[in-house]
Amino acid sequence: MCGIIGSVGRDGETLDVLVHGLSKLEYRGYDSAGVALTGDGLQTRKCAGEIDDLRAELEHEPPAGVVGIGHTRWSTHGPPTDENAHPHQDCTGDVAVVHNGIIENYQSLRDELVAAGHTFESDTDTEVVPHLIEDALADGAGPEAAFRSAISKLEGSYAVAAVVDGTEAIFAARNDSPLVLGIDDDAYYLASDVPAFRDHTDRVVYLEDGEFATLRADEWIVSDGTGETVEKAVNTVDWDPEETGKSGYEHFMLKEIHEQPRALRQCLRGRVDELAGEVDIGDLADLSPTGVQFVACGTSYHAALYGAQLLREAGIPAQAFLASEYATATPPIGDALVVGVTQSGETADTLSALREARRRGARTLAVTNVVGSTAARECDHVLYIRAGPEIGVAATKTFVSQLAALNLLALGVTNCPDARETIAALRELPSDTQAILDDSTAESVAEQYADASAYFFIGREHQYPVALEGALKLKEITYKHAEGFAGGELKHGPLALVTDDTPVFAVVTGDDATATKLVGNVKEVEARDAPVVAVTDGQSDVERYADEVLRIPETHPRAAAVLANVQLQLVAYHTAARLGRSIDKPRNLAKSVTVE
Amino acid sequence: MSVHTAVVLAAGEGTRLRPLTRNRPKPMLPAANRPILEYVFDALVDAGIDRIVAVVGYKRDRVQDHFGPTYRDVPIEYVVQSKQLGSGHALLQARDAVDEPMLVVNGDRIIDSHIVAGVRDAFDADTGVPTLAVLERRDVHQYGAVVIQGEDVETIVEKPETDEYRLINGGVYAFDETVFDAIEETPRQQGELALTDTLARFVETGQVRAVETNGMWVDATYPWDLLTMATEVLARGRTDEPERGTNVWIDDDAIVHDAATLQPPVVVGPDCEVSPGAVVGPNVALGRNVTVGANATVERSVLDADTRVDPGSILQDTVTGQAVHLGAGTVVPGGPADVRVGTHVFEDQRLGAVVGDRARAEGNVSLAPGTLVGPNAHLHTGVLADGHVEEDAEVVR
Repeated sequence: MCGIIGSVGRDGETLDVLVHGLSKLEYRGYDSAGVALTGDGLQTRKCAGEIDDLRAELEHEPPAGVVGIGHTRWSTHGPPTDENAHPHQDCTGDVAVVHNGIIENYQSLRDELVAAGHTFESDTDTEVVPHLIEDALADGAGPEAAFRSAISKLEGSYAVAAVVDGTEAIFAARNDSPLVLGIDDDAYYLASDVPAFRDHTDRVVYLEDGEFATLRADEWIVSDGTGETVEKAVNTVDWDPEETGKSGYEHFMLKEIHEQPRALRQCLRGRVDELAGEVDIGDLADLSPTGVQFVACGTSYHAALYGAQLLREAGIPAQAFLASEYATATPPIGDALVVGVTQSGETADTLSALREARRRGARTLAVTNVVGSTAARECDHVLYIRAGPEIGVAATKTFVSQLAALNLLALGVTNCPDARETIAALRELPSDTQAILDDSTAESVAEQYADASAYFFIGREHQYPVALEGALKLKEITYKHAEGFAGGELKHGPLALVTDDTPVFAVVTGDDATATKLVGNVKEVEARDAPVVAVTDGQSDVERYADEVLRIPETHPRAAAVLANVQLQLVAYHTAARLGRSIDKPRNLAKSVTVE
Repeated sequence: MSVHTAVVLAAGEGTRLRPLTRNRPKPMLPAANRPILEYVFDALVDAGIDRIVAVVGYKRDRVQDHFGPTYRDVPIEYVVQSKQLGSGHALLQARDAVDEPMLVVNGDRIIDSHIVAGVRDAFDADTGVPTLAVLERRDVHQYGAVVIQGEDVETIVEKPETDEYRLINGGVYAFDETVFDAIEETPRQQGELALTDTLARFVETGQVRAVETNGMWVDATYPWDLLTMATEVLARGRTDEPERGTNVWIDDDAIVHDAATLQPPVVVGPDCEVSPGAVVGPNVALGRNVTVGANATVERSVLDADTRVDPGSILQDTVTGQAVHLGAGTVVPGGPADVRVGTHVFEDQRLGAVVGDRARAEGNVSLAPGTLVGPNAHLHTGVLADGHVEEDAEVVR
């Protein structure tokens, strides 16, 4: 997703700060990048491709200035080309703008501007903004007033930052897209996300929707839509900037897979008490919901499916919805608690589903990884998963932390009869996960099936979301066709796809009726010559029908889902590595999807 | 110019510490309840080192996962020694990462920051004379004995058989970047390049400076040494957990029931749970997330992360690896015992048992003094075990 960086007050170092910031935003996914600096005239450089391409572009006559903005673009309007890369400029070349989000009324604005004689160079929605500023400047407005005037005409979601030739300031505004300020003693920054400037300062100010910010060398001011100054709290973030390093691993994804024992410990720390058979989730324990509706997207949706199952097992009606569908086709909510599961807390689809729920009077809870994120601030309640920053676009450690956190939620708001057993299993999750990391044979399984034409994943109950997530992970980073199914659904259609070239990953844990039924499904695919990879704790007899086995430690069925997922993460990773894919930044994908 | 980079050699398994090294290298074994390597990094950071290059190899993911890219805000760069061909070969792997004078330390022994600072201050980067720490020890025969003349090293004798020596090589060095060429020029012995061989050549052909230091310096060669290591760490109060009573350190996120007894010195790591009636200590270190069941007794033992001791168990002089599960009524009486490691029998060692990672004992199991249990071994109910239990073994009564 697009990323914004801005810097004021770093005379002589502005360009370095911007390019460094862009490299820290790479994890959001992007297809082009650019910068604009002002001080000695306004200079803009941009291109399609990687940040390294931009660096090459910047080598000849590097632009300089005391103020600058930069952008990584993830295409929504118009393909990734040099022209469509940000910053965008007006006809005079005196204004440069970067933008994250979607301007919904851009077509009508653009028609008006073209009719008035403006020339457009790109296909983007963003380009209307510099031209609107140009018009206001031509009408005699000062730079800040011109910026406000332009923003007032926009509908949709945006985080926008603009610089104007001859003015040593950045003007910025936010609506439905993240924007955060960085405050240092002698310099100010703004960015879509903290890592972009975290190497320079740990003091941050989160902008709210509808707020404007003006950064000058000697001051930063946040104001509302009417121009009134807003007093903002300056927060301190405790993330270690170096946590974005790969610490000896080839990819962030593998590093993050290996960080899972630690992420799980952080998630559970101080929250479980096996002696008392209780969990401590603070005020959330008082929520006592009579029903729960989860809203989420992608990997988080799979966590939500799992969470809904846990609550249903405790007797609370619960369902999981795709956030994008929920936002527009909202079901009756009644007294249900609406829980948004979003790693970044900035997922636009999830935010709009939560807003719709709030509009209808529902209580909302955010389950998120990012302190101070939009979801955390907008919801009535928040449960942090404490996984630490995740850089790989494919979610791994945040998924297992979501599952652990949802267990805490289920235990905290219900009276589970087997609470102590579940807590014991949760406490063993870090070491059980480590056991898989120590001894997994996923790499050899991946090698064996890397050239298969398609991959299927089946599971039942707790393992059904795991099957879906296993398929999604494989899709995301290998670009191969993969689907997850509930075991019982195979015979209702998907079985037609099964051949001797489509490995089927069967997640079977325990040895109860559910496991027996899934073993039955395994026999169905085995009879059709599909290679079978069993992910199992060895309790059932599934190994008899499997070509390969990925073993997980024996544990509580709920914890088994977390462990089975780790094996499937490793299969996806090693398959993608063998195929030479861009594992940390898969094509067409973005880390946090901040457009609907 | 002061030296500000340290190369830490952390690639070796430490085979004599098996079965505890099944899943991690020796530097990651627990000294009380933190990995040995953390003490090494602490000593470096406290001495003002601001860049660490870690040479990793055997089970390197465990080092990388634990420390990540920084330790106490000091960046760590990892370089890989894929085959463990000696300490000189290990240092050579850091060649591309270091182009300036450096400290070199072993990652598998606890050292004090005074020792690091002493070597750093004595090293003269202008002359580049190799400098090493020497310290006085009783057990010189296990290490490299150093004979000094004034400030200069006269000879180094590896593992001397006579007892005329007083000083050992502390494994803390300062070199300039020409050390890499010197290692390459050193002839290999049976395919391996030992840093001490290069050092011996320096002594023969030029000058090596010795810095006599004292301070904490603790090595573990055999599994039972982890018990004395923990005792030394606790005696010096070198734990990073808050002190809740005299020599009783308990992490904020540990749960110790009011009716449990902690006998100092004892350290209880994060996420631990100690049940009513349990008696833990003296000289016990509980790693992260350890569970001690009701009425269990644990004395002079090191229980590493995620170990679970069920109700009514009695453990003396015991070292457990990670995620070991000892069922209700497990009994391990303490040493002395004769312990066989490889072909050598060590007599009268004070050792109850060493239990490898993820080994599991059902209820009512007894381990005779000196028993070594392999990783993932499964001891069924009522088993009486002694000697060696192999990895993955299923032992029934």
